This record gives sequence, C-alpha cells and structure tokens, in this order.
Amino acid sequence: MNFNDPVERAALAGEFVLGQLSPGEQAEFERELARNREVARAVVTWQERLLPLALNVKPQAPPQGLWPRIERDIAVGVSSRAPKSAGIWSNLAFWRMAAGLSMAAALALAWIVLVAGPVSSSQQYVAVLQSPTDKNAGWIVETGARDSVRLTPLLATPVGSGQALQFWTKPDGAAGPTSLGLVPADRPTVVPGSKLPGLSPNQLFEITLEPAGGSPIGRPTGPILFLGRAVKV
Amino acid sequence: MNAPHSSFDYERTLAVCARGETAALRELYERDAAWLMGVAMRLVHRRELAAEVLHDAFVQIWQKAHTFDPNLGSGRGWIFSVVRNRALTTLRRDSREIATDESAFEDAADPSADPLADLTRSTEAQALHRCLLALDEQRRRCILLAYMDGLTQQQIADRLRAPLGTVKAWIRRGLIALKECLE
Repeated sequence: MNFNDPVERAALAGEFVLGQLSPGEQAEFERELARNREVARAVVTWQERLLPLALNVKPQAPPQGLWPRIERDIAVGVSSRAPKSAGIWSNLAFWRMAAGLSMAAALALAWIVLVAGPVSSSQQYVAVLQSPTDKNAGWIVETGARDSVRLTPLLATPVGSGQALQFWTKPDGAAGPTSLGLVPADRPTVVPGSKLPGLSPNQLFEITLEPAGGSPIGRPTGPILFLGRAVKV
Repeated sequence: MNAPHSSFDYERTLAVCARGETAALRELYERDAAWLMGVAMRLVHRRELAAEVLHDAFVQIWQKAHTFDPNLGSGRGWIFSVVRNRALTTLRRDSREIATDESAFEDAADPSADPLADLTRSTEAQALHRCLLALDEQRRRCILLAYMDGLTQQQIADRLRAPLGTVKAWIRRGLIALKECLE
C-alpha cells in the first residue's frame, strides 16, 4: 500500500471507510492508521463526507431496555465484546487492566481493613487513578477515619512551575465535580470527610493539571492526568 | 425524515463523557439513538443484532471518548463511525448467517428505500447529493451498496452480476471522482 501518494491514500481511506478492504489489507491499513496522522485525516474526511447518507436513514426506535443496560454496563466497567483485532476502535486492554488493578487494590485494602479492624462504621472504598493516555496507575484513593479520604501517589507526577495538581471528586449523578483542593505530587494527602460531597460506589476521583493556585472557575480547566472510580471493599 | 441538523455541541458532550459523566452519554443517546439504530438496522437487518451493535457502540463511545480528537473531525461523525464500525464487524462475523436468511429482510429498514431521497437538508448533504448523481450509475450503486448496506465487493459483484475486478475498479474510480467533486 502506498500511503505517500495523496490520491492513493485517499482511495485506500475511502475503501476502508466503505469496509471494502480484505482482512489482510485492513490489518495493514489499521497499523498505518494508528501511527500516520495523514491517514487518520483521510479516513475522517471520508467519514464526514459520507455522514449525510447515514443521517438520511429512516430512524428506528431502539428497544426500551437498551439504555438501562448500557448505563448498567458502563457503571460496572463491562467491556464491549469487540475483539482486539478489530483495530483502533477497540483497544480494550486498558479497560481490562483497569478492572484488574482496581480488583487487586480492593483486595489489598480489604486485607488491611480485616486485619486492622474497621476505622469507621461506614462503608470503605478504594479507587485507583490511572492516566487516560499511558494507562499507568498513578494514585490510590482510600477511605479513612470519619469518611476522610487519603490520596497516595504511586509514582512521581511532574509539575511545571506555575502549575499545580488539583484533586476532584464527583458522585454518580452529581451535576459537576467538587474540588478537594491542591495536592502535593510526592506525598500522601488526607482530605477530611467534611470537604467531600459524600461517598458512594462508582464515585469519580480525578487529578487535573491547573494553574498555580488552582482552577480559577471552580471546575477543572486543565487536562485530566489521572482518574478512577470508587469500588466498595 | 432526516436526523435533525442541529447546533448541539457533540464535541463538548464527548469531552464531558471523557470526564466520566454518564448524563452526557445519555444526552447523546437520547438525541441520536433512533438514527443510529436506523443505520445499524440497515446494515445488519435484524433488530436484536442492531440493538447489540448499539449497546456495544455506546459502551465503546464511553470508554473511548477521551481519544476523540476534535481537530480531525466532528463529534457526530465520530459517533456514527463507531456505530458503523461495530455494525460492519458484526456483519462480517455473521455474514453467512445473515446472507442466507433472506426472511430477515422483512424485519429490516426498507432496503429498497432510495438513500438519495431527501438528501438536501444541509449544505454538505446537497453537495454529496449532487456529486453522487454526477457519478456513473454503476459507480454510484457500488458506493451506496457498500456504505448503506455494508456489502463486500464480492456481494456487490453478485448483486450487480459483474466481475469482481470490475466492481473493484468502479468503487476506486467512484471514490476518486467523488473526492474531486466534493473538494
């Protein structure tokens, strides 16, 4: 396949979008697509060109129970059943790893709780925060005494001058995230329960990169460096 | 009926999905699920398969929202592509099963419906309409059978009673002509 010639590249991208490549050609094309931005651009250009045809189909009501099933499955982190070979749309390794890591962390905390005895009568949670880009687990959030949470770094997060790490949480269904304050990159931080908007299963925790002094608008403005959801232990 | 051409901010809504807010995914679902179901039905024909396609696609949209790049294309185009991609995967996987069960067509979106009818709502749609009509009829039919119905080159060759190599050439030349016309 010649990806350097613009006409050939556009024709291949069109054939890919139309699903006309043989399995072998498709695999070769997808390898290039994953690393060549010009090829990605050519694919998206065809998707956009042909989109009016898709928008022109006769609408069909989806089954009644479909949305509740989607909602349930994304809450428990079920992966779609796309095979890995289906290409760049379905790289599920990260999600499987995320589920595995959370489970490992949950088991570790369960052991600590069982051995050390409950620190509070309320529910115990743990969340492993991972980078959305390189998939590394960067921080662990655990509940402590009187519904406080402890945030512990697993690796060093680089922070430039004029920047700060800000810690956020959002219970499922909440309108937006609540700031839990700025956190140092290299040591644990304990956030008192009084600062939290409660604690519930699946609650989101995230760390964003903000200007020094924190987000000026009370909502995240910078990139999400790490995020994860609370799992009950 | 066309899907509403709206100023709804798909790109922002996908960014909110990437932050983990389920309400944003629900908003996308409520806006476009009926048209996405229509696209999936047209490709896989069976209602239960189309529902599976939609389910898997929405789980994928949720999981992959952070990879969407607004510098490359529109959020809505990305969402429709995820659904088409899932449907094509299902179609290729189950192709024998689907192809041999012609009765399944009864349950499908009317496969004879003219995909070009009413294709005039937006400027983009008008341009596509004009450029598709400017193609030789065989090239246009190949492109529409591939995009709308998900047929492979072999299936198109069978349908049009034309040699495989000829269909291959029609599609390629059709794509190049379409690109030139739209640019």
